Amino acid sequence: MKDSKSILLLVVSVLLILVSFALLWTWGYQFNDLTKAKSGTVYVIKDSTAAANATRDSLKRVYTATINSVGTLDSTWLTADSLKGNLDIRLSEFYKLRNEIAILLKNPGSKADIDNAKTKIGELQKKVEQLRDRNVEVERENARLKSVLEQLSAGNTKDAVQNLRTAVFDNKNSPEKNTPVAVFAASELKLSAMMVEDEKEQETYQAIQTDKMIGTFTVRNNNAAFNNAEIVIVVLQPNGRVLQNSGWDSGSFETREGKKIYSCKIRFEYSKGEAKHLSFSLSTNNFEKGNYSMQIYQNGVMIGKMSKTLI
Amino acid sequence: MYSVHSRLKWGVTVFFSFFLLTASAQNSVKQNFQNAAVYAGIEVGSKGVKMSLLEVGKSSKKNSSFTILKDTSVNTDFISFTQPTFQATLNGLHGLFTVALKNYEIPSDRIFTVFSSGVKIQAEKDDKNSWILSMADSFKKRINEPLRQVNVIDVTEEARLSHLGIVPATRRYNTFLIDIGSGNTKGGYFPGGNTKDFKLFQLTWGTKSVANAVDKRTQEDKTLPNFNKQLYRVLAGEANTEVIYAVNLSGAYNMSDNIAFSGGIAWSVATLMLPELVENPVVPVTYDEVLKFSEKLYTNHASFSDSAIKKNLTDVTLDKNLIGTEVKRVNKVFDQRSLMAGTGLLLKIMRQFEGIYDKKQFFLVKNGAVGWISAYVDQSISGTK
Repeated sequence: MKDSKSILLLVVSVLLILVSFALLWTWGYQFNDLTKAKSGTVYVIKDSTAAANATRDSLKRVYTATINSVGTLDSTWLTADSLKGNLDIRLSEFYKLRNEIAILLKNPGSKADIDNAKTKIGELQKKVEQLRDRNVEVERENARLKSVLEQLSAGNTKDAVQNLRTAVFDNKNSPEKNTPVAVFAASELKLSAMMVEDEKEQETYQAIQTDKMIGTFTVRNNNAAFNNAEIVIVVLQPNGRVLQNSGWDSGSFETREGKKIYSCKIRFEYSKGEAKHLSFSLSTNNFEKGNYSMQIYQNGVMIGKMSKTLI
Repeated sequence: MYSVHSRLKWGVTVFFSFFLLTASAQNSVKQNFQNAAVYAGIEVGSKGVKMSLLEVGKSSKKNSSFTILKDTSVNTDFISFTQPTFQATLNGLHGLFTVALKNYEIPSDRIFTVFSSGVKIQAEKDDKNSWILSMADSFKKRINEPLRQVNVIDVTEEARLSHLGIVPATRRYNTFLIDIGSGNTKGGYFPGGNTKDFKLFQLTWGTKSVANAVDKRTQEDKTLPNFNKQLYRVLAGEANTEVIYAVNLSGAYNMSDNIAFSGGIAWSVATLMLPELVENPVVPVTYDEVLKFSEKLYTNHASFSDSAIKKNLTDVTLDKNLIGTEVKRVNKVFDQRSLMAGTGLLLKIMRQFEGIYDKKQFFLVKNGAVGWISAYVDQSISGTK
């Protein structure tokens, strides 16, 4: 009986020892694991800071290169007279963006700031490209104007006129050789229906009240050196027919689409670059309701179009 | 004195003309009578009797103070001064007067009757002035108006009235009007800025006289190339000398911005060259355009047939039937050679005004025939005559 009790006590003791070992191993494992985890976080934090610094340095290099490339645009800024207003806006946008990026790169608060700086540098690069293109365009125009000025100042007007004629009629971009092109641009087109009462004219929108139609527009020619020109006006009535004063004022003319009837023709003298304000008046016994279309032609090419509705 | 057959022939012609006139004109004119004063002018001319109906007053919104509503004519050949043509002319005159009076309800005091300068010139030349008086008396007797005036117009007055009737007031004092007839050319302008002083321009050449002179030169070779060659010689020879002299004498080059041509050849060239402007009584042209047209008349006359012209029209708003009818009418009146002769004379006169620096604007007037009688009526009713 004594032997069986001793064996039981021995077994229990062994079990307790085993449990104790198991517990000790578990604690040791957990401690070891905790130590490993702590040392890993430290390592990650150290690597991330280095990457951020590397990105910022790279952005700074791109930024500096971009800023340096803008130096060549100074001549554009100083010499472009007519384009100055436009350039002024573009350059102020450019400088604003540049300052924003500089602030972001100096003290990057977070990753978002760096991303923002990256986007803004992309924008900055685009703006520099645009300014560079504009610069080339301005320089080309300056060279062309300079050569025209030289020709004119040399008193070689005949040659200049000849060259311009060639430019007008020998359109290289056109598929048809010798196709005439317009050398005028039309703007500020207006067609008004007028009623006349007691010798006073008043604008109206009603067909039944209309006594005449008055058209006004502005033409400008910056290229040619002629001093007189001819503009042909076609006013189409709602029924598609051409509105005419009388046979003495109207006629027909050639266009790319074939012969057309015109309402009236205006001959005028002008100086190069001058904005010429022109007007005409057309009357008929009966103005119909509907849409009236005014078309302005020069050299057989339509340079302006607008319409007016009478109710 | 004259056969029953010829009398019958003239009678049928006049009757048929009246029938056509009545049928075609009624619709177009009657509706205009309501708010306007309508007058009639009947002219006894060299070739026939013409009547113009015109509206005078507030509703004539165009450039002149009157609007021509309708014109018509009957061919009677009065200047042959034979009994049949006399009778035909009398019938024509009476017939048109009756149409104006009864069909259009125009009172007698609004119907004006007059002899043209062509009749007067030919009558003086042939010593047939009594025929004019006889015609006037017979007409007055037939309409039972013994006090009616039937005036005879001289050439200067006719040219002056033509100018007043054709050229709008806005262009009156800077336009030189030239009427190219079949046997002669006449016209003129107002040099003093008033309608009383008129500078007359005259040539002994017309469309037919040029064609006749060319025909005479062609002798046995009647081919078209020879006609063309001889036409050049006629126009470069005596015709050229007279044209240059007359234009220089007129002093019109320095005084005019616009040179307007009327007469049959002007109507023909305008219709064939600018068919798209068929409804316009006046069309602007350039010397170069007429020159090209003239060359094409010789090299490709077929391109001016009604079918060829209609085929080339691209504008869908144009009335192709109207254009076709008018082109057919021109080709019926003028054959290829007459067109070449008339256009040649037209170009010869235009050339005198085609300066290098001072460019004149040329116009072709289609309804020139009604010009002077319309102005005569207008002037008579306004009391300035």
